[in-house]
Amino acid sequence: MTIQTPAKEKTHTFRLLAPGVVWMILFLVAPIMMIVYVSFWTQTTFSINSTLTLDSWKNFFGSEAYVGALWTTVRLWLIVLALTFLIGYPAALYVGLLVKSKTVSTVLLVLCVIPFWTSFLIRVLAWRPMLGKEGAINILLQKAGIIDSPIEVLLFSELSVIIGMTQIYVVFMVGPIAFMLGRIDRNIIEAARDLGAGFGRIFWKIILPLSLPGVVVGAIFVSVMVLGEFATSGALSGRKVNLLGNIIVTQVGSLKWAMASVVGVILTILLGIVVAGFLRIVDLKREL
Amino acid sequence: MESNVLKPILAVYVALFVLFLYGPFIVLGILSFQQGPEGGPQFPIIEWSTYWYRHLFGMVPPSRIAPLPVGEALIRSLILAFMTMVTATVLGVMAAQAFRRRFRGAGVVFYLIVLGMMVPGVLTGLGTSLLANNVLDIERHWYTTAFVAHVVYTFPFAFLVMLAILNRFDSSVEEASWSLGVSPIRTFRKVTFPLIFPGVLSAMLFAFTLSFDEFPRTLFASGRDQTLPLAIYGTFSVEIHPNIFAFGVMTTLFSFALLAVYGILMGLSVRRAKKMAMQEEIA
Amino acid sequence: MTQTGSIFRLEGVTRRYDDLTALDAIDFEAEQNEYISLLGPSGSGKTSLLRIIAGFEKPDQGRVWFQGQDITDLPAHERGIGFVFQNFALFPHLTVFENVAFGLRNNVDTVPGVEIEKRTRDAIEMVGLAGLEDRVPDQVSGGQKQRVALARTLVMQPKLVLLDEPLGALDANLRDRMQIELRAIRERLDVTFLHVTGSETEALAMGDTVAVLNAGKVIQSGTPDEIYDTPASPDVALFLNRFNIFDGTLKGGHFAGPFGDAPVATARQNAQDRYAIRYDRTQIFDPGAKLPGPALTARFRASEYLGSSIIFLFETEDHKTVEVDHHLSFGDPRDLTVDNEYVLSWDPAKAIVFGKEGSK
Repeated sequence: MTIQTPAKEKTHTFRLLAPGVVWMILFLVAPIMMIVYVSFWTQTTFSINSTLTLDSWKNFFGSEAYVGALWTTVRLWLIVLALTFLIGYPAALYVGLLVKSKTVSTVLLVLCVIPFWTSFLIRVLAWRPMLGKEGAINILLQKAGIIDSPIEVLLFSELSVIIGMTQIYVVFMVGPIAFMLGRIDRNIIEAARDLGAGFGRIFWKIILPLSLPGVVVGAIFVSVMVLGEFATSGALSGRKVNLLGNIIVTQVGSLKWAMASVVGVILTILLGIVVAGFLRIVDLKREL
Repeated sequence: MESNVLKPILAVYVALFVLFLYGPFIVLGILSFQQGPEGGPQFPIIEWSTYWYRHLFGMVPPSRIAPLPVGEALIRSLILAFMTMVTATVLGVMAAQAFRRRFRGAGVVFYLIVLGMMVPGVLTGLGTSLLANNVLDIERHWYTTAFVAHVVYTFPFAFLVMLAILNRFDSSVEEASWSLGVSPIRTFRKVTFPLIFPGVLSAMLFAFTLSFDEFPRTLFASGRDQTLPLAIYGTFSVEIHPNIFAFGVMTTLFSFALLAVYGILMGLSVRRAKKMAMQEEIA
Repeated sequence: MTQTGSIFRLEGVTRRYDDLTALDAIDFEAEQNEYISLLGPSGSGKTSLLRIIAGFEKPDQGRVWFQGQDITDLPAHERGIGFVFQNFALFPHLTVFENVAFGLRNNVDTVPGVEIEKRTRDAIEMVGLAGLEDRVPDQVSGGQKQRVALARTLVMQPKLVLLDEPLGALDANLRDRMQIELRAIRERLDVTFLHVTGSETEALAMGDTVAVLNAGKVIQSGTPDEIYDTPASPDVALFLNRFNIFDGTLKGGHFAGPFGDAPVATARQNAQDRYAIRYDRTQIFDPGAKLPGPALTARFRASEYLGSSIIFLFETEDHKTVEVDHHLSFGDPRDLTVDNEYVLSWDPAKAIVFGKEGSK
């Protein structure tokens, strides 16, 4: 129920909003502006001063390691995004559309969410005894006689980072897709079937398009989290995989604030492009 | 539909999917019963034992493996999560309340708030510490800089939860209260708040859980004193021992206990509603 | 009653929602201690008007006066005007007793506990809910909810109570009973009730005064008899759902319509020429019989038994439905054969005519 907004109502709205808005401007917008600003500061070995310079930017693009981290980040993001979609969609299809009973569907969703009540870092760590040289997978494969000697690339490699990230973030893809699939009117599918459409056709023409907003929301979630990652790569790659996030951490660790800020700005731009790109596919305001 | 074929296949797939989600936990759970203190964080199990659980609570004789530094960190994390929960929920309720009226700039304000959950923690953390370190020149602490960063992150969640609740809220009960001569502030306390309280609870749960487990923002924005996730992260770089697995099992069990309590409470309220409906039928 | 008996007055009250004008410069004055029915079709702005008087919304223009005071800028909780909602809007988390006591407990002026207790019990007693005090709203029926809502409002002893389609959510049986009770309660308490409804039967049955609202304007107000006997415009006649209305031409004291030519004694000023005759004044004749006035040939299609009367539905040659209301106290109805032709006629002096040639 919306009521008109004469002066009194306006001050009321203003008072309710002011604390939150001020908080976000001071502690979210200002810090991000700060990153942009500091990326142009002058960095010396032990300190930093606000003389503006492009040095850090030149350093970034002049260094193979840094630019390499950018491409590693993009590559890992694309791989994890594709995997979460490919692995998550069939699960969402079952949970959101094929399960007739509301209870079963809720139980399955809760089952997917429960791991989130365990510390994120312990979830990452749990992959070590799973993937290690003497880990569960290698032991199982050896016992089954599929392999003779343990696969070593399973842990402390790009592969382990991809596996870990996919497991942690796939639920963010399943949730929104299952939600959108749950909203599809079953009668449409029945009608299409009555008209003689096979499942493949129904999937491509009806189910997939109608679940697209869920895919986009899930993709935005996964992208934002994967692009800002550093803990999973730190814990599972044995420092072999360096993402933009890892560079920020190490630079801050050695008080190289200007370089950390440059990487921060690049990460922000990358995120902006990705999210804006996804939002162009689907007009979320209209769909939700 | 070929769903006669598809459905069982997908059911098996979902079972595998759940196994994929839980597999690491299972392995972690098994290894937490590794023999100690010599047994390492890998297979095979030398001998089943609860050594690492006792190690966690300092109930074993001192060995070369130091106990996890979780005691103080746990308390800090709990306090920080509590502070964050209260602040984020208050801000969220207020902002959502304001959104019940149409006003100019609503879109901008909405995105400004939601931005807080969309910007990766590594960026908010970096920006906050830059601001504290290089402009304001203040020391970073978990209860100052990390706290504000946590609220930036959790406030949007509380806001969205409250927005969903208030969207379904029938405002005529508030108008009824006004028409009985009760002031808007008292109306909020006596009518609106009790009715939206379940929503407030979920907003609080969200804020608490997210803050308690928050890592990237805390890593940058808190100072010397570690919170729980930082303490766990600290063990990453050095050699890990099964005590961290035992700790993981403990926290997971703790979460399950919380969920069980929540489930029981929900079940009770559903049963109460059913009982009421039956009474009405009899009457 | 004199001017001093006025309880509230609206002066040029206007309310717009974006492009839509819900209320268009409404002037209206209500007498004290009356039951006022505000009749209007959906979308006529009747709920807006009520919300403006209550203070839930503010008019874009115009003033609202209550007991001689300009209350336009006064917030709702300082007005002392009661409001009964269509959906009852009970507080779901409070018992019936606490719902009724709510206003007393949370008032700006502290009311002593003993008095709260007594007044609440009295109000609950008055609406006949004694014994249900400890139930919560989910445990009482729709009619009981309505009574709680009423008791909750009346316990505050307001001088004016606004009722927004209060019977709309009740079933037919209950509605009739509540109609009688509402009137009785009002008389006992000496308050003014302003009752908004979309039902002409309800409006005419309950109001001491009936005001008809259409397209944001009060198009007529008066006693139910005045409204019923002399609707001020074809629109009013149409809402009352008791008139056959015909198009035609009014010229020199005669109205030419589908029924031929009828003499007109007086006509009311109106942009279109319209001829209205009440259902219960329309009579049925066999072809060739002696008629009291104009002759309208029509086929009998169906009849509807309403308890104390029968409605006969006819269809004219130009496919217009004409209704005849035969009250059973005037004797048994005629036997009519479906699809046969009959002639409808009436005393032309009883017709109400509108037209460009009419006087004010």
